[in-house]
Amino acid sequence: MTDLASRAVQDGSWFGIFGREVVVLVPARERPRVAELWAAVDDGARFEEVLDLLVSGGLRAVHDFVLVAAAGSAARVLVRGAASVSVHSHLRPAEVRAGDRVWAEESFNEVFSMVATLPDSGATGAEVDAPAGLRRVGSVSWGTNPVAAPVPEPAFAPVTQPVIEPVPEPVPVSEPVSEPAQTPVPVPAPIPSGPMTAPLVAGLEPLPADAEPPTWGQPEAAAFSADAETGEQPPVDHDGMTQSSAAHLSPPPLPGIPGQPQPPAVTSHPVARLVFSHGSTVAVDRVILIGRAPEARRFAPSDQPQLVTVPSPHQEISSTHLEVRPGSGVDHAMAVATDLGSTNGTMLMQPGLPPEDLKPGIAVQLIPGAIIDLGDGVTIQVTRP
Amino acid sequence: MRAVELHHGAATDVGHVRTVNEDAFLVAPPVFVVADGMGGHAGGDVASATAVQELGRLADAGFDSHSGAQAVVAALVRCQARLREYAAMQPGDAQHAGTTAVVALLVSDPEGPRWLLANVGDSRVYRLGPHGLDQLSVDHSVVQELLDTGRITEQEAAGHPERHVITRALSALEAPEPDFFLVPLPAAERLLLCSDGVSGMVPDATIEHLLRESPDPRDAAERLVQAALAAGGRDNATAVVVDVVGLVKDDAYDSARQRLSLVTKLGALP
Repeated sequence: MTDLASRAVQDGSWFGIFGREVVVLVPARERPRVAELWAAVDDGARFEEVLDLLVSGGLRAVHDFVLVAAAGSAARVLVRGAASVSVHSHLRPAEVRAGDRVWAEESFNEVFSMVATLPDSGATGAEVDAPAGLRRVGSVSWGTNPVAAPVPEPAFAPVTQPVIEPVPEPVPVSEPVSEPAQTPVPVPAPIPSGPMTAPLVAGLEPLPADAEPPTWGQPEAAAFSADAETGEQPPVDHDGMTQSSAAHLSPPPLPGIPGQPQPPAVTSHPVARLVFSHGSTVAVDRVILIGRAPEARRFAPSDQPQLVTVPSPHQEISSTHLEVRPGSGVDHAMAVATDLGSTNGTMLMQPGLPPEDLKPGIAVQLIPGAIIDLGDGVTIQVTRP
Repeated sequence: MRAVELHHGAATDVGHVRTVNEDAFLVAPPVFVVADGMGGHAGGDVASATAVQELGRLADAGFDSHSGAQAVVAALVRCQARLREYAAMQPGDAQHAGTTAVVALLVSDPEGPRWLLANVGDSRVYRLGPHGLDQLSVDHSVVQELLDTGRITEQEAAGHPERHVITRALSALEAPEPDFFLVPLPAAERLLLCSDGVSGMVPDATIEHLLRESPDPRDAAERLVQAALAAGGRDNATAVVVDVVGLVKDDAYDSARQRLSLVTKLGALP
């Protein structure tokens, strides 16, 4: 089912050298060496041969690179420098990151998907397929891409199975609690109360970006009562009973925290990237609504939310379960997550913080390296964009 | 992608009070529209017919949710341009002619088919799902805004003197500002699009009952309009009912039984 041979990339400043199984990623300053690397990879050089070539000038000559060999669902990942690769396998999600070591190398089996996050790569644009060849890249992902994600079954069809024959839970929900022990991640010092922001949604209804929180509408309320008096159609000629108030009302109140900058509906650069355990990856540059059968309510065409459907054979995940969006104010340039009143709740594991149950309607800042557990074995790893 | 079949029915009536039916509707799978014109002899019927015509052009092309939203906006912009031309050629206050529009467009996203819904004004789209009747659209009306700000209650809204005053419309004067909604198909097995001649005359409980008790969407639409007439018929009344069938086509022979047994086993779907 999973095949790591399918690769998708975004544009950026790094060089990606894509062989059939071996992939080398080097920053822009390694340009003089890219041709010989491509020649080697194209000739079918193995992992070790490519590594030899990469360090042929001595370790001090090359500060950053990512070397991946992937075949079927097995992968071998070596990272030097500031880049990182997050790996989703049948085990818990893992991140390969060198930190202050010479490099980090790990092997994985039964991998669903991997994402390489490259520092200062200026990743932009949509993901496109990356067949063998040499190209500029900003980020690279292996495995099931979003387009190939399975079409969700009708909600009622798959449920019969668990009723008849309960499938043992492959990923114990409590397990990732010990997770943050993974490789240290440089994070902005988390202030315990910092990530909490005021409620963004008023009720349990999944509200998209421009839905109106009913309580913050004073300016507009004042505006329309004036309009209603002066702006009505002359009653003589209207047809049916529908009338238009001729003058236009002030625009509906924007969501957000009063007195703080409005959250941008769509940001020009993603503030984070979400790596889903079922294989897809999504950049957080707009409101993202995640659930078993997510729906978006009341949005303008310019800020259309992205809907991400996740499999939930046991129906533990609510239809519209979680919202992730670019933050504003103190959360600027960070992603924030809000549980939208889901039935079974959302668990958040942040590096350096105790695991936390998201409170419905309360937005929480996401630190890179955070893992969100929606239940039913679905986890979302938050990485740098 | 799984084949999705749409069954539909539509009905409209001028009502007991008005002399002209200024409502218009369109059933052209995958596009469904109800438009409620206003402006009397200033051309409300022209406005609603224009909206329906322009939105009808979306029937042939296939869309995903992004291109679909752009296409709906483009159709409404074309509609406004035509209304402006019409107003320029008419004497009198034809520029006050306007219309509401509520649109349901079936789009296919990589993750599967979805309903892209859009509305301008106070015509509504409801869905009948396993959990009951759910109003998906949010009216652009003075009363809705009073409700949103908590100044009046649902009961007060029903009899509010300004309940027919809408805050957004499609006309020569106003740039179209539709709100969009995106819902998955399994959550919306039956959609109802209607003008306020139906939703304003028939209580929600009755709408739900009629939708549930009429398996054929044509009967459902007909009965809803009849109910609006029976309740007084003070406005033009239009209903379009769309059923999504084929979602369980793979195992259609026992899908009804399967669904039933699930509800029996679980009590209710989560």
